[in-house]
Amino acid sequence: MQGYLNRLAVFDLLLGLALTVIVAWALLGTCFKLYQWASTPSPLPIPLTPAPRTRYGVVVRLLAEIVLFRALAKANRVTWLASVFFHYGLLFVLIMHVRFFFASIPSSLLPFIVWSGWAALAMLLGLCVLLIRRIVVDRYRYISTPSDYLHLLLLISIGLSGVALKRLWPVDTFGVGEFLRGALTLQWQALPDGVVLVVHLVLVLLLFFVFPISKLLHGVGIVFSPTLNERDTSARSSSKGKPSQ
Amino acid sequence: MKLSNDNTVVDTPQVVGRYRVIPLIQEGASAASQTAKATADIQESLGLPGTLVDDWHDKAIARLGQLLKARRGLRVFMDTCTKCGACTDKCHYFLGTHDPKNMPVARQDLLRSVYRRYFTWAGRLFPWLVGARNLDKSLLQDWYTYFHQCSECRRCTVFCPKGIDTSEVTMAGREVLASIGLGQQYSQEIIGKVHSIGNNLGMKPRALADVLQSLEEDILEDTGVAVRLPLDDEGADMLVVTPSADFFAEPHVDGLIGYAKVLHQAGIRWTFSSEASEAANFALFTGQHDHMRDIALRIRHAAMGLGVKRIVIGECGHAWRVAYSFLDTLVGPMEFLSPEHPRAEHICEVTHQLLTQGIIQLDPSRNADVVVTYHDSCNVARGAGMGDIDGGQFKIPRALLAASVPKLVDMSADTTGQATFCCGGGGGLLTDDLMDVRIKGALPRAQALQAVVSSDQVTHLVAICAICKTQLTSVLPHHNLSDVQVTSLHHLVGDALVLT
Ligand code: SF4
Ligand code: SF4
Repeated sequence: MQGYLNRLAVFDLLLGLALTVIVAWALLGTCFKLYQWASTPSPLPIPLTPAPRTRYGVVVRLLAEIVLFRALAKANRVTWLASVFFHYGLLFVLIMHVRFFFASIPSSLLPFIVWSGWAALAMLLGLCVLLIRRIVVDRYRYISTPSDYLHLLLLISIGLSGVALKRLWPVDTFGVGEFLRGALTLQWQALPDGVVLVVHLVLVLLLFFVFPISKLLHGVGIVFSPTLNERDTSARSSSKGKPSQ
Repeated sequence: MKLSNDNTVVDTPQVVGRYRVIPLIQEGASAASQTAKATADIQESLGLPGTLVDDWHDKAIARLGQLLKARRGLRVFMDTCTKCGACTDKCHYFLGTHDPKNMPVARQDLLRSVYRRYFTWAGRLFPWLVGARNLDKSLLQDWYTYFHQCSECRRCTVFCPKGIDTSEVTMAGREVLASIGLGQQYSQEIIGKVHSIGNNLGMKPRALADVLQSLEEDILEDTGVAVRLPLDDEGADMLVVTPSADFFAEPHVDGLIGYAKVLHQAGIRWTFSSEASEAANFALFTGQHDHMRDIALRIRHAAMGLGVKRIVIGECGHAWRVAYSFLDTLVGPMEFLSPEHPRAEHICEVTHQLLTQGIIQLDPSRNADVVVTYHDSCNVARGAGMGDIDGGQFKIPRALLAASVPKLVDMSADTTGQATFCCGGGGGLLTDDLMDVRIKGALPRAQALQAVVSSDQVTHLVAICAICKTQLTSVLPHHNLSDVQVTSLHHLVGDALVLT
């Protein structure tokens, strides 16, 4: 034990501990919100009609919103496109990060590693458009609070530092994997050297920290939105005669 | 939308209206439009404080806390908005007034800023960071102003990627306001009248009977056919509950005559009820679920007392939402209804069924030279369904019109169907003290209408909602559309009906 601690500098230990604690916080915090939403009664059915009549239909409706951002596509094409770039860029990059959970990279992740630079670019592009429109359009400026800008700036900084790690100052990916796996299995390891790496990690931790207490929860929140997740149960019990078209 | 029938094939015209131009925001533009606060006696008759209570701040926060625990929608909507802005240009009141607080998300933020301040860690610790605000007098004033410049039409919900329903936020806001002594005179007075007399207008049973009798005489004179308008007919099969405007005011009453003609022709034994002589349920607007239930209960009670097997709702938008979506939850199950018609039906469903079954005939040539466009009412479009088909609430009224008039034209698709624009007077705003907001709020609808008037010489605008009809009749002249006649759907159906 003594030797193990010696090998870890205090700073490394702190980073590892922070990762463990903040990941736990994000998970527990999110679970708490889910519990809070799920346990609040929905006294009157308020689906936005025309609404699906079956549970299957509800799943399709929710998927269309979550996967395609359907309502946003109807509302505003620029925002929609920027959101698609950002969210799918981020998803792609996140999948790439799964490599750090494995000591040797699974071959299925190779394309994600190869293309992740482009994905990060798409993500950054989307984020910049989202930021610019928030600053330029008077309506969006009016509804924005400092946290709305900071969320975007945080994500942009994470993306930029990530790109820097890939292109400019490559890191010891194996070492990063060990650090990450260590923190998640409570066997903390040192983080490989690199200032940008530390910056990237700290920013990500900040994002995880605000996740359960901010609007970032919207992704899960949609599923609980009664306007989208409730069925039109009255339709089934309507009169027998089928109106023709 | 493409509608085909024997007479017409109609393509959607392109709207050239100015509503596609999104206005620049103009802070405070409609701050001065105020609706009168409920008087002490009205508030007290509903069990609410007569004037603003001394500890209004604590009471308001406590009430909001209760609502957050009682309504999942409210809680989720408070949490999930990303301020993406998709809804900002979707509200007719913003498009008409340019006041940024009439942007749906800004309206929600009036409440959300307080939610964040008092109910979230981020807002308690860093209010300036997340736009959290103390509830002070000026914010309270904004609540009263802007929660009464929302018609709870839910158009913004259609475009919100998180499905956030601003009407739920508005209802919660009004509910809190009323609970600390700041109810709205117009809605609360009406709720009081429904409780004490049975309808919004405060029309006594005796007066109602007289009105119905004189209408029977009018129909006989006009058509030579003795069409009855029965009241409290025990043993009738069908109870018709309709907005009380139908009993006396133009253009509503012609619709009422239309229902009577259709039901007469079909040989259905039906009746009105003096106990439930009102379909409207303004407690939906004020967010007071207890009152909503009590008002709905009258319908159940009247139906059971009269021993009817069917309940039919007349042309009223929000009444139809309450009947279709809420009635079972509020006062159900309605096991006394016939198994063939186990829920409340819309008069359009009834007429449409009779038409498709060949029980009644409609002859469009009787409405010669009438060119109709149909205004989808928000509560019907986004809060209810109709018939057994998807989108029946859009198709059935249009099918009835197509069979009743020579030409039916649709307004631009982004102003009809699920995306329909509110008439500008719904949700408890149909009061003279909000006339300015009502006129401005009708702008997008008026622009879409103007387009079809120019392209297809539309003569009639049809709606199936008493509020829409009243509102549009009074505001269209302000948009240079006084030549368009606002009409009940069943007026045209009644005129086209082959009556024997
Ligand atoms: S569209 Fe929905 S999520 Fe976007 S700003 Fe409006 S209410 Fe918020
Ligand atoms: S519900 Fe209707 S009136 Fe209210 S904010 Fe939304 S669009 Fe505007």
